[in-house]
Amino acid sequence: NPIVLDLAYNLIDFPSLENRM
Amino acid sequence: AIEDLFTSLNRHIERSEFELAVKVSNQVLKIAPGDEDAIRCKVVALIKNDCIDDALLAIENCSKKSLIDFSFFKAYCLYRQNKLNEALECFKGKEENPAAMLLESQILFRLGKMDACVDIYQKLQRTKIDSLEINFVAGLVSAGRASD
Ligand SMILES: [K+]
Repeated sequence: NPIVLDLAYNLIDFPSLENRM
Repeated sequence: AIEDLFTSLNRHIERSEFELAVKVSNQVLKIAPGDEDAIRCKVVALIKNDCIDDALLAIENCSKKSLIDFSFFKAYCLYRQNKLNEALECFKGKEENPAAMLLESQILFRLGKMDACVDIYQKLQRTKIDSLEINFVAGLVSAGRASD
């Protein structure tokens, strides 16, 4: 079977906390 | 103060200490229930820590307390649980964006709907998603369209 990567995982990201600190 | 908690949360995220990130997110949410950044951090940290069941629970809980659109995260968790049709349902009525389209294509691949899967990859080619061509080729091969 051809290789399929879970690329969606890489697009799950934390919000910027820059102005919360 | 809540600023100190976010400073600590940010440090855990930078160090990929996801369990600790969940813990501090919960501390923020105790003080400020419904804080969008804390909720998002908690859900993402649970996903990054491979706690998919817990992430879904957190999404269910928070959906009652906030107006944040969790449909992408929810679809991703359901995809990880191989609840593919349920995952697809999450996209209904939602605005299309590259992340959602990419996830949708991965779900369609698993469902064996190769033509629909490949159609999405074709639309995504203008975006700059790393390694996209790997999944595109997998879809083409599986669709019997390797010569495309
Ligand atoms: K795929």
